[in-house]
Amino acid sequence: MNKPLSRRQFVAGSGALVVALSVGPRTPAFAQGTTSPAKLTAFLEIGADSFVKLWSPTTEMGQGTHTGHAIIIAEELGIPMSRIRVETANPAPPFRRGTAMSSGGSWGVRAWHAPLRKAAAQAREMLLAEMAERNALPLAELDIVNGVVVRGGQPLAPIGLLAAGAAARPLPENPPLRPASGRMLAGTDVARLDIPAKVRGEPVFCFDMAVPGMVHACARLSPVFGGELLDLDEASALAVKGVLQVVALPGGAAVVATSTWAAMRGAEALKIRFKPTPHDRLDSAAISAGMREALGSDTAARARNDGDMDAALADAARTVEADYEVPYLAHTPLEPWNAIVRFNEGGTLEAWAPTQAQDRLLGAITAASGLSADKITIHTTLLGGGFGRRLRDVEGIRDAVLTARAVGKPVRFFWQREDEIGQGWYRPAQAARMKAALAADGSVTGLWVRTAGPSMVMDFAAPATPIKEGELDGSSVQSLRDTRYKPPAYRLDYVMKRYPVPTAPWRAVGSTQNGYFIECFLDEVAKAAGKDPLALRRSLLAHDPRALKVLDVVAEKSGWGTALPRGRARGIAYVESYGSLCAEVAEVSLVRGRPRVHRVVVALDCGSIVSRDGVLSQIEGGVVQGLSAALGEAVEIEGGAAANRNLDSYQLLRMPDAPTRIEAHIIESGEPMGGVGEPPLPPIAPAVANALFALTGKPIRSLPILKSPDFARG
Amino acid sequence: MIELNVNGRKHRVDADPDTPLLWVLRDTLDLKGTKYGCGIAQCGACTILMDGVAQRACVLPLAAVGAARITTIEGLPDKNGKLHRLQQAWIDHQVPQCGYCQAGQIMQAASLLAENPRPSDADIDAAMAGNLCRCGTYVRIRAAIKQAAGLSPRRAVAAARPPEGDAR
Repeated sequence: MNKPLSRRQFVAGSGALVVALSVGPRTPAFAQGTTSPAKLTAFLEIGADSFVKLWSPTTEMGQGTHTGHAIIIAEELGIPMSRIRVETANPAPPFRRGTAMSSGGSWGVRAWHAPLRKAAAQAREMLLAEMAERNALPLAELDIVNGVVVRGGQPLAPIGLLAAGAAARPLPENPPLRPASGRMLAGTDVARLDIPAKVRGEPVFCFDMAVPGMVHACARLSPVFGGELLDLDEASALAVKGVLQVVALPGGAAVVATSTWAAMRGAEALKIRFKPTPHDRLDSAAISAGMREALGSDTAARARNDGDMDAALADAARTVEADYEVPYLAHTPLEPWNAIVRFNEGGTLEAWAPTQAQDRLLGAITAASGLSADKITIHTTLLGGGFGRRLRDVEGIRDAVLTARAVGKPVRFFWQREDEIGQGWYRPAQAARMKAALAADGSVTGLWVRTAGPSMVMDFAAPATPIKEGELDGSSVQSLRDTRYKPPAYRLDYVMKRYPVPTAPWRAVGSTQNGYFIECFLDEVAKAAGKDPLALRRSLLAHDPRALKVLDVVAEKSGWGTALPRGRARGIAYVESYGSLCAEVAEVSLVRGRPRVHRVVVALDCGSIVSRDGVLSQIEGGVVQGLSAALGEAVEIEGGAAANRNLDSYQLLRMPDAPTRIEAHIIESGEPMGGVGEPPLPPIAPAVANALFALTGKPIRSLPILKSPDFARG
Repeated sequence: MIELNVNGRKHRVDADPDTPLLWVLRDTLDLKGTKYGCGIAQCGACTILMDGVAQRACVLPLAAVGAARITTIEGLPDKNGKLHRLQQAWIDHQVPQCGYCQAGQIMQAASLLAENPRPSDADIDAAMAGNLCRCGTYVRIRAAIKQAAGLSPRRAVAAARPPEGDAR
């Protein structure tokens, strides 16, 4: 797996055009085509000027993997960070994780640190071998420091002078790696490579790019999920100045114009009708009622059944029961979906797109264009946010291809904000029924969790779904199936209840709702048992030193159990996801009836780290995005469509509601490296809800919190 | 033709007076730092300065701009290209993640500091409430604004800073 191809097999992902688009003030000379870089491995090219081009297997959407990858290359190869340029590779075997190239599941660093370190070591060995042979020097005495081959501390030659010769040498199978003690960057704070361009406002996003002769195409799509075009009146859009053409699409139309604004005006003016659907009257209340009914189903797909749950309930001194529910969530990356598609002479196609899933995009392009994959080049731009939404742009790229073909010119196809939110692919709504059996001493003897609702896996993977109707959806039991909590009896099952609202992975996926369900319920159990919430969790994790350490760190750093100012309370939550254990404590008060999060303390055991500041940044972002969902986010369904389609009604967290302080404590346990982009998100909703439970005495059994009449909205 | 004063330069553009300034900046003047996020002045990604005051370019018609001085993120560095102290603070605090909202955040912060050079925490929250960041960088934005206002020392981000505050 992930074995680099030889450089002869490898097809370069960068045409001259993308280079022209991405020229920045400090672009190395070779990228401008003045010198030809030498390709040493699939991942690494080295120019005569000693700049190193890293073809990353990941999309950079703000999570920082391009910088993380560059750190690995810099220290293993022996070059300064300032000499590395990173771009996302075109999909090819070396860049696939399993069968597909894609950035999700918090895999960016944990899956790639070893292959990238190996690639850098291979390149180093080839450069040193070239130097040794050319100058008859002893190979064992050579090293690369700061981009220069040195012997005994004496600089001999910059690597750029050796690159072309090194590239012709055989790829070493098992190059020696530098010892961990020689890694000067890993685990430290290293400035991100992409930040200077972003604070200068340089055109790094797809929406900022242009190709010669390009026209602009604004989508006008059925607001009802899955709705199809019935008919349209072209003249209504063509009457708008600047509109060139209207292209019919399966789910609506594209209005093509000379400028973005004219395309938007034309899309607004277009008279269009959509076919009726069977779900034209579906609404959130019906979905909620359906999920709640499913909770009582006689049949369910079972994920776990440890011990004797029925006996635990029958013998319980007392039981605790509660139903919970969460709504659909939109990803709302701030850059709306857009892509540039150009059919080239010679029967090839190029696409520029903000995608997280290069191979899924490639499949959609081949299907829509009829071209084979080898005729297609995908230029992955930097993304103005992803969060999972850019894993699933099959319809978006299909429509871009269809429009470009109909127009016969390069096209930027784009959605307005209303479609970015309204076209769906949400974190699924979900409900849960929780039951706990307690012994007379308050200890938990059994825990039964049932979740019910849409199947993200069936929606997202359709039509090639790995599961069938009614079977177990792994995402609906994520973080519950493999929980480290070990009550004497544990039952976990799931009832599938599908709706035509399309669902997809949303940052931290099933762990978002399941972390909330179980962590809030445990506080209800703790209260019923007369136990401290931390003590209850410790008792369920008594067998697991790694998990206990995470809890103990967050407890100590947050001052758990110590006095707080009047009107302020703490809530704790612990959720493991994507290979990392994360516990959070939130300090919350009510300010004129509105929840205010003063302080969040995070303990994250992700095994080991590459970029310390990168981890901190992801922890902070995860906490804030998770708090946003907890407090205000819900896609309201009305008439088979999203009712809240822009940022006035879909409530994202704003700065006044952000925590005053977020204090992160990274635990480098030395266990296998876990993910970092997602694991810090799930614990914050239950931590805040538990703090509010402690404050008010009333459990929070549905999200978003601000929808409850118990709290002031603003 | 409409005359505009953008980043200290005069431009004559051929556009209807009701065209939002955002699209003239982006599509006509090729200043792509100002972003489209929502089109209804709810996200702040299109924030620019008009005579030094933050405005949402997505709902600002050309007709309302007149002879006002427009400043975009591209016009924030000085004549020698030296970054504005807010931009430098954004780098020092490693604020951006995806970065799509950050030009708007910086322009909003520039408007705040021009009006209120030593803002309180509450002033910062109130002034920045119209600028959404989906990646959740608000805590770092606050810290960067305080640094730029001289209310906190400069944060050094460099290779090999010794770890602090971890539980190792």
